[in-house]
Amino acid sequence: MLATIVDGGALLKTIIASFIAGVGVTLIFSIAILGASRFADMNRDGRPAAAVAFGVLGLVALLAAGAAVVVGIIVMTRK
Amino acid sequence: MQNDIVMVIVVGTALAFDFTNGFHDTANVVATSISTRAMAPRLAIAYAAALNFAGAFISLAVAATVASDVVSSGAITPTVVFAGLIGAICWNLITWYFGLPSSSSHALIGGVVGAAFAAAGPDAILGDGLLGKVLIPAVVAPIVAFVVGGLAIVICYRVVGRLKPGQVGRGYRLGQIASGGLLALAHGTNDAQKTMGVITLALVTNGSLAAGSDPPTWVIVSAASAIALGTYSGGWRIIRTMGSRIIKMDPAQGFSASGAGAAVILASSHYGFPLSTTQVISGGVMGAGAGKRLSAVRWGVAGNIVTAWLMTLPAAAGIGALTYGVTRIFGTGSVGPIVVTAAALALVAAAFTRRVRAGTPVPAP
Repeated sequence: MLATIVDGGALLKTIIASFIAGVGVTLIFSIAILGASRFADMNRDGRPAAAVAFGVLGLVALLAAGAAVVVGIIVMTRK
Repeated sequence: MQNDIVMVIVVGTALAFDFTNGFHDTANVVATSISTRAMAPRLAIAYAAALNFAGAFISLAVAATVASDVVSSGAITPTVVFAGLIGAICWNLITWYFGLPSSSSHALIGGVVGAAFAAAGPDAILGDGLLGKVLIPAVVAPIVAFVVGGLAIVICYRVVGRLKPGQVGRGYRLGQIASGGLLALAHGTNDAQKTMGVITLALVTNGSLAAGSDPPTWVIVSAASAIALGTYSGGWRIIRTMGSRIIKMDPAQGFSASGAGAAVILASSHYGFPLSTTQVISGGVMGAGAGKRLSAVRWGVAGNIVTAWLMTLPAAAGIGALTYGVTRIFGTGSVGPIVVTAAALALVAAAFTRRVRAGTPVPAP
C-alpha cells in the first residue's frame, strides 16, 4: 500500500542526487584546498615542479566544484 | 465584495506567513556561516535575503504540490486557507519565542490540514498526498542530510587532515560563502513556493484562477519579496541555537553541513517534495558534528528540536482548526477574518514587546 502512495522513484532519485551532490562537491572542493595548500608549501620549499602540479590540481578541482554547482542549479530550473 | 475582502485578507496573511517563514528560517541559512566566521552577521543575512528572493523564481514544483496534493480544493474556501495560515503563523511565533528551530513548512501544511478538517471533515484531507508527498519525505530528508553531512565531514578530514589548520580554515570559509549561498537559494526555492501554493489554492477556490493553474507572476514576486524581507529581518534566537548550541562548528563542518542541506533541499524541490528546510539543515549540522565524533553533538538540544518537529504538524493543525471555528462564529463573511486578524496582530505585538523587554540574546553587530 505504501508503495502506491509514495513516489518511490522520485524519492530514490532525490536521495541519490543528494548524495552525489553533497558528498561529491565536498570531496572536489577539499581536493582544491589540498592543491592550494600544497602549492604554497612547495613554492616556499623551492620545488617548482611539484608546486605547479599541485597548483593545477587545485585549480582543476576548484573549476570542477564550481561547474558541479552550476550544472546542479541548471538541472533544478528545468522542471 | 465580501469575497474580495476575504481574499485580500488571505493574501495579506499568506504574505505575513511568508515573512515569518523568512524571519524564522534565517537561522537555517546563515547560522553555519556566522558561527564559523565565514561572513559577518549582517552581510550574511543580506546575502541570504538576496538569494532567497532569487531562489523563489527557480521552480514551481513545490507550489503545485501544496496547491493540489495535500487538501481537496473542492472542500477548501478562502476562510479555511486563512485559518490555516493563522495556525502556521501562531506556531512559528511560539517556536521563535522559545528559540526552537521548528519547521515553517509543516506548520503551514498542518494549519491548512487542521482548518480543512474542521470545515469539511476527514474527506477534505488527501491522505495519500499528505503521507507520500509530505510525511515520508519529512522523515527521510533529515536522515539523508545527516548521513551526507557526516560522510562529507569524514571526507574533508581525510583529504585535508594533515594540512595546516589556518590554510584549511580559510579555504572552507571561502567555500562556505558558496555553499551558504546555495543553501539560501535552495531555501527560497522550497519555502517561498509554499506560500505561492497557498495563495494559488485560495485564488482557485475563490474562482479567481482556473484549477491546475501555475501561480500568477504577482504571486511569485510578492512571495519572493516577503520571504526575502523576513530573512533580512533575521531571527537571532534561532541563529544561536543552530549556530552553536547543537555543535561547536569548525569551518569544514560548516561547509559540510550547508553543502549537505543545499544538496538535499534542491534535489527535493526538483521533485516537488515540500520538505522542512529547518529539519534538513539541522540534520546536516548534526551529521557534520557526529562525523567528527558522536559526543560533539549536544544530543539534549537535538532532542528538544526533534520534540518541536513532532509537535509542529498537530499543534499547527489544532490552532488552524480552532481559528476556523472562531472565524465561523461570525458567519461566512469578512467579519470573522477581520476580527481574527486584529486579535492575531495584538498577540504578535504583545509577543514582540515582551521579547524586546526581555532582551535579544545575540545582538546584531
